[in-house]
Amino acid sequence: MSTTSFSELELDALREIANIGSGTAASALSSMTGVSIDLAVPVARALPLADAVDALGAPEEQAIAVVLPVSGDVPGLMLLVFSPASSRVLCGLLGVDPDSEFAASALGEIGNILGCAYVGALGTMTGIEFDPAPPQVVQDMLGAIASSAFVAALGETETALLLDSELKFEDAECGFACIYVPSQDGVHEVLARLGLGG
Amino acid sequence: MVRMGELAVSRTPDAVLVSLGLGSCIGLALVGSGVAGLAHVVLPESPPAGASGTPGKFGDTAVPALVAELAKAGAPRSGLRAVLVGGAQMFAFGSSGDIGGRNEAATRAALAEAGIPVVAACTSGSTGRTVRVHVGSGRVVVKEAGSREVELFSGRLAA
Repeated sequence: MSTTSFSELELDALREIANIGSGTAASALSSMTGVSIDLAVPVARALPLADAVDALGAPEEQAIAVVLPVSGDVPGLMLLVFSPASSRVLCGLLGVDPDSEFAASALGEIGNILGCAYVGALGTMTGIEFDPAPPQVVQDMLGAIASSAFVAALGETETALLLDSELKFEDAECGFACIYVPSQDGVHEVLARLGLGG
Repeated sequence: MVRMGELAVSRTPDAVLVSLGLGSCIGLALVGSGVAGLAHVVLPESPPAGASGTPGKFGDTAVPALVAELAKAGAPRSGLRAVLVGGAQMFAFGSSGDIGGRNEAATRAALAEAGIPVVAACTSGSTGRTVRVHVGSGRVVVKEAGSREVELFSGRLAA
């Protein structure tokens, strides 16, 4: 099975999707916090599972992640990855004590808003119905979070397509990654709706 | 470094086999005398079409594949001891339920079939773990997220 490769044109289209999705998500977060959010150009890459985990960062590093499984016509996974420092900044913007029990639920809510804005934009663009499930917030080794989330959401796949967007807070030296991982079949459905592949 | 789906065998005395950040995956260590192997199991069962070149990825194929590699390195099956690390349930979603638990069950079943005793395990729960196998001594250590390294197996192969 050669499901691992995408043409440059397809990757361009997927980058554009990520751009629109994360742009919508960033403006949702921006209007909620009153802080402007910078958005780097997203990266789209199809990687073998082990490489996909490594691509997110050092696997043993402590990270806080909000994980949103996405069901519907195109199942997949949305992953927001915060360093401990960036989660403190975000909690601060929301007026929540980062050491309190409310920190996780605040981050979960952020995940919910970003995830819904992101896949909502994808849905509008493609006419596909995406259905984000309630977020789960975990603090653990980055590699453990990523590998388990990929396996739970994607099942038996050799590769993961990462649509990786980097969001940065204005005036703060940190940000977080917003990563959308559609299932293999789902990617082709999305591309087909955009008039590519099929 | 043994990443998702990979397996490795070494008899270099100062080598350390390591799998970083195991979540629902299983780090399957097989320790012999002066030789050790590690597989990074991702899923419990191989697909009907076969493991397609990545036997380390599946619990049912990782055990025989690792045993065969160790035999090539001169370690007889009868002298092997198994240590299991990982198999956590990090998330409550996914169509296939507790993948970590199923990974552990499939791996243990394959070990039982191969007649290899499990001498130590640090599994289930909901935390990520790193496993290190010191080839020379056979010592196996585990580190959970946010805590210190703990010895799981001293490496002494006393019966």
